[in-house]
Amino acid sequence: MNRARQFGTLIGLVALCFVLWILTPYFLTVSNLLNVAEQTSINAIVAVGMTFVILSAGIDLSVGSIVALAGVILGVALRDGQPLALALMLTLAVGVVCGAVNGLLVSHGGLPPFIVTLGTMSIARGAALLVTEGRPISGFAASFRVLATGRVGFVPAPVIITAAVYVLAHLVLTRTTFGRYVYAIGGNEEATRLSGVAVRFHKAMIYAVSGLMSAVAAVILTARLNSAQPIAGMMYELDAIAATVIGGTSLMGGEGTLAGTLVGALIMGVLRNGLNLLGVSSFLQQIVIGAVIVVAVLLDTVLKRKHRA
Amino acid sequence: MRNVTFSLVLIAAALMSSCNRETARVGGGGKPTVALVLKTLNHPYFVDMRRGAQEAADRLGVTLQVQAAEREIDVEKQMQIVENLIQTGIQALAITPSGSREIVSALVKARDAKVPIIVVDTRLDQKAAADAGVHAETFVGSDNYEGGRLAGEYLVKATGGTAHVGILEGIPGHETGDSRLRGFRDAVKGATGVTIVASQPANWERDQGFNVFQNMLQAHPDIDSVFACSDLMALGALEAISAAHRTGSIKVVGFDALDDAKKAIAEGTMAGSVAQFPAEMGRAAIESAVKVIRGEKIPEDIKVKLELVTRDNAK
Repeated sequence: MNRARQFGTLIGLVALCFVLWILTPYFLTVSNLLNVAEQTSINAIVAVGMTFVILSAGIDLSVGSIVALAGVILGVALRDGQPLALALMLTLAVGVVCGAVNGLLVSHGGLPPFIVTLGTMSIARGAALLVTEGRPISGFAASFRVLATGRVGFVPAPVIITAAVYVLAHLVLTRTTFGRYVYAIGGNEEATRLSGVAVRFHKAMIYAVSGLMSAVAAVILTARLNSAQPIAGMMYELDAIAATVIGGTSLMGGEGTLAGTLVGALIMGVLRNGLNLLGVSSFLQQIVIGAVIVVAVLLDTVLKRKHRA
Repeated sequence: MRNVTFSLVLIAAALMSSCNRETARVGGGGKPTVALVLKTLNHPYFVDMRRGAQEAADRLGVTLQVQAAEREIDVEKQMQIVENLIQTGIQALAITPSGSREIVSALVKARDAKVPIIVVDTRLDQKAAADAGVHAETFVGSDNYEGGRLAGEYLVKATGGTAHVGILEGIPGHETGDSRLRGFRDAVKGATGVTIVASQPANWERDQGFNVFQNMLQAHPDIDSVFACSDLMALGALEAISAAHRTGSIKVVGFDALDDAKKAIAEGTMAGSVAQFPAEMGRAAIESAVKVIRGEKIPEDIKVKLELVTRDNAK
């Protein structure tokens, strides 16, 4: 079932590419495909964390604000002349801590994730604005910017980073006990608890993973824009949820794969790129993207109903 | 399942091909394509700019591609749009940067693709552009500093040189708002009776203009005049003034001379606004782009006029 659903999403992506290939000569070129991959990387990475959270039947609305907060901490560290390695460690730590706070409030505080992350969304955003006094921090050394502008062979660095993140996260999700618990908690939290799993600890970890992913995305975004903006990352939560859901992860938890999420993120990236190439009006673009999200979920629901019947 | 996926794709295909007809028609005839990337299309200012640009494009026989991010502050989306448009082989790029520094990274790619750049409305950060080796053919826009001065001088005159001013700023770090602010502050510096009691960002937005000014009025009931770096924020402040039942007792000066603002000025609820001519900017941007494509020389700075609108000249 899962595999079939994933396959369906992949067919969707391939078909979308095929249609664009027919409609515009600019789509299927190496430079444009690399372009799409690079543009998709930030959302794809945030969506990794979102997939962990949604698999556990949770939600994380704070990812965009954590991207901003981790980004400005990175900006401050680099501006103040900290060594690159230290600045990066600090950034990732900020992400993990923010995520862990979300996780602890959800698991030990027993609050609904929607409410917790709605609150931390605002808190992290405010903190980012406070740290920078509302102003972006710009102009970084080339040694840092290479994380976005660099290329390995002809492949842009963000694409390499994204690939590495996906491979690692996929291994964690499929080959570790933590990964199995993510599915188990989402599938049936009560049963998981009764079978002796430390559910609360693992739930906190899941949100920490999401925070970490936001921080990784923040590094790429900051390098890409050559600027750490406190207002960055707005609405990233919605893009990440969309990628996850288009990729076939069930909002009810327990079902889904990272491969699906990657395809979901690519569908959104290809769609945006294609609509730009075709010169479709910005307003119509929003309608098309919204329609694709709804249709993808509709597809998912219909399939499940059919499967159970 | 495949059927459903397939029909989804067909719908998308149908949608796209219907949009594509337009591009195919104009792209095919060998006409040069100029892209105009705006900050947003949900602001009358940029809608006017687009209209001016389209008129110029039609007159000069070039294809115009207009794109904008969903939100004005989303510079990363704007960057994606620039990257995508470069792929379509545009001959020139006119852009109103969502971030004076951030957009430079995208313009580097335009430079590498040998696409000439026309910067409109908001200047590039000079240092960031120089560091990255990005050179714009020209800047088309009004002098925002001068506009801020106009507003400041008018406020000094209108209040007889005694005023407690509240300022609504744009998004911090934006060159446009910062220049207007500097111009305004410099203009009122000489008037010893004019004090700026509060200055807060309302991020260019009407609802934030309302909220921020309402809070300002709570903290400083003695405020008797307002300078808003844009009319949308000024209009928000007008609502807040009306909610506080103080309409008419607070002089509000805005920027942009939007239709709603001109109406308020004619009615006497608003004191004035600095008019910019966005349609003129759009026109000049496309004319410059065409000249660059033809290999003609253009000036490095194309100034579009500014005008103070008060009750005397508001229609």
